[in-house]
Amino acid sequence: MNIKINGEYYKGEDGETLLELAKRNNIDIPSLCYKKGFEGLGRCRLCLVEVNDNGKTQTVSSCIYPIKDGIEVFTNTERIRKMRKDIILLLSLRAPNNEFINELAKEYDVQAPSRYLNPDEKENCILCGLCVEACEKLGTNAISLVGRGTTKAVSTPYDDASKDCIGCGACADVCPTGAISLIDIDGKRTIWNRTFNLVKCSICGKYYTTEDALEFIDEKLGIENQEHICQSCNKRLISKKFYL
Amino acid sequence: MSNFHNESRKILVCCGTGCLANGSYQVYEKFKKILHNNPNITIEPSIKTTGCNGLCEKGPVVKILPDQISYFKVSVDDVDQIVDETIVQGKIIDRLLYFDTNSKKRIRDHNDASFYKHQHKIALRNTGEIDPLHIEDYLERDGYKALKKVLFEMTPKDVISEIEKSNLRGRGGAGFPTGIKWRTCSNFDDFPKYVVCNGDEGDPGAFMDRSILEGDPNTIIEGMIICGYAIKSNKGFLYIRDEYELARKNMQVAIDNARKFGFLGQNILGSSFDFDLEIIRGGGAFVCGESSALMASIEGHVGEPRAKYIRSVERGLWNKPTVLNNVETWANIPPIIINGSEWFKSIGSEGNSGTKVFSLVGKVKNTGLVEIPMGTKLNELIFQIGGGLIKDRPFKAVQTGGPSGGCIPKEHLDIALDFESLNSIGSMMGSGGVIVMDDTTCMVELARYYMEFLAGESCGKCTTCREGINTMLQILKNITAGKGQLDDIDLLLQLGETIKEGSLCALGKTAPNPVLTTIKYFKDEYIDHIVNKKCSAGVCKNLTTYYIESDLCIGCGICSKKCPVDAISGILKEPHLINQDICIKCGDCFIACPSGAIKIGGANYEY
Repeated sequence: MNIKINGEYYKGEDGETLLELAKRNNIDIPSLCYKKGFEGLGRCRLCLVEVNDNGKTQTVSSCIYPIKDGIEVFTNTERIRKMRKDIILLLSLRAPNNEFINELAKEYDVQAPSRYLNPDEKENCILCGLCVEACEKLGTNAISLVGRGTTKAVSTPYDDASKDCIGCGACADVCPTGAISLIDIDGKRTIWNRTFNLVKCSICGKYYTTEDALEFIDEKLGIENQEHICQSCNKRLISKKFYL
Repeated sequence: MSNFHNESRKILVCCGTGCLANGSYQVYEKFKKILHNNPNITIEPSIKTTGCNGLCEKGPVVKILPDQISYFKVSVDDVDQIVDETIVQGKIIDRLLYFDTNSKKRIRDHNDASFYKHQHKIALRNTGEIDPLHIEDYLERDGYKALKKVLFEMTPKDVISEIEKSNLRGRGGAGFPTGIKWRTCSNFDDFPKYVVCNGDEGDPGAFMDRSILEGDPNTIIEGMIICGYAIKSNKGFLYIRDEYELARKNMQVAIDNARKFGFLGQNILGSSFDFDLEIIRGGGAFVCGESSALMASIEGHVGEPRAKYIRSVERGLWNKPTVLNNVETWANIPPIIINGSEWFKSIGSEGNSGTKVFSLVGKVKNTGLVEIPMGTKLNELIFQIGGGLIKDRPFKAVQTGGPSGGCIPKEHLDIALDFESLNSIGSMMGSGGVIVMDDTTCMVELARYYMEFLAGESCGKCTTCREGINTMLQILKNITAGKGQLDDIDLLLQLGETIKEGSLCALGKTAPNPVLTTIKYFKDEYIDHIVNKKCSAGVCKNLTTYYIESDLCIGCGICSKKCPVDAISGILKEPHLINQDICIKCGDCFIACPSGAIKIGGANYEY
């Protein structure tokens, strides 16, 4: 199907979302809660665009909007630019000391009114929910979005050290604002109030994952006594195989 | 009246939640006890508990049939007198009759009272008239007649076109045409399909759904079975909020009875159509009244809405085609089937067929549930049915549509109560909450109150709603505390537009309404707070000073008697004085003063 975006036509694939189509064609739509390989979440609202469908214009979040034939899309109208700036302003008020949000604010020339800004605010999480999705996809389900409204947060059950967490760090890896504290010191990793033993790569000797994570994966894949190789060494091994 | 005590009569004791809280069940028990033991009664009256009569403020309500006598504010101590005088001798007890504030008369039959006279009951037709726990009562009043008609005289297509022709629109707030919803769902050949009743009523002050759930559960069951037949679904869910314990109890009894009578279950009345219902207890979140959050909650997920680019009639509960309607909508289905779409269309206004139940609350004389034809004028609702404002204070504004509705000022009082008219002035129908405000209401504080409610009830999924409402709340807190700046108004408008446009679900999309409409219609009040540091309603304590204008003071001393902290002193018949160091700014003196000598000054008032 053909989708008109900002005056140009693009070929869309069945089941694709508007944001996926735009990203594939290098059309710039800012987003925080979108990650390739994940379903759109529609939480951060930064990817709002205007869609004209049969003469009716509406504002939609492109990360969850399924494309359909005949729609015309505008990604950079004055209204959309104003809304983006307002959303960044709201995120700046929430996390005024977060470097990623501050960079975004600089890029979009947003200055939050100082009267409503708390300079001591330590919040870094923007509740995009990517970490929860990642944890769920892995099958660990150690963290979840809890509470509602302004008290909503990402946490483990009852904020206790989670017995389901395997310390894999996938949550911290997908976080767009670096909000999840993952500390690796002296062969130990601390995350979500729990400390794990780290495992060294048998080739390069660097710590790369936790014992619990390896156990979890081995059990899931049904493998025993897997060799401990980190991702970058593994890549090197595979590419060697191809070249030889 | 000579045969009075020989007639068989019914005594109906209202046991809706409001009356129960005022001790109506004890009244019922006392009646039962003393009627049985009274030697002067030859034919014992049947005594029944019923659902809500709507005028909760004047409860407990007791009705005596067929004499059509209605008693209000009945206490246990009145029961002996009612039995001795009314039941045995046929005498009416004047003091228990309804006092009509418009005509200043006591009225024997509540149906003649101005609160009830203008009402037209369809959804509430049985509520308050029958015992909700006895299916026989419902059957006596044409109950399940519509179901029989549908099963044996109509095809599913006939049912849908009848509902479509009736122009019935969703009573939950959005006003989407019910018939079109059913037709779209019936067009998808994806089974199983589901029927859902939204009983997660959460608007502060709204209780129409609760009353129907408690007082006439069978009508909802019947409406849902009819829909199941029309869209070929065999399973329905009733999502009832956690706080509505009596509603869930009465509904469960009604479901069990309906099964016993063959209206629910397999092969309904021998028609080979199967349908059953299950009650789901809500988790207590306001946002779960939003249809997609409600479905997520039934599925066992966190109650968060999803975008509705694909509607739930196509992919709803467990991604299957689902029809979800509000309690009041379901209650309209059986009468439409029995009386036909033409009858329904003859009530209400063009494009807004039928009636709407409003819960009339706030500073109005008669508060309660009111069912009136759509298109009735707002001033008729407030001044005729509601009897005007308490103590005849000046009318200031009315808020319709629940926490995210808008505030309507005096100049729009003649607006028609229908979906489009209310939207056109920035408010909405919502579930039908109507909150009346007088001159002692501060519009900035009101906006702050609703933002606080919504900040806590937002599910927190999307940035605009969660952070946006919270930021608006902080700004309003500043203004009501006397720390506002003029550009705060611009910031409120700027964020309000983005929240409306950019939020995921209807909660966020409507949340800024109380702020935007109060700025639109009461901007002076905002400026008064910000520039003059004055709250003319005397609500924002930081911006209020009460003082006595000595020229107007007659020295009656009422104010000093009312003052809870003894801040007012003065000699009788001489002007009094308020000691500002002691005054807690409660405003009791302002309300009590008979000569209007007590005035409200701002924070900087010099006395």
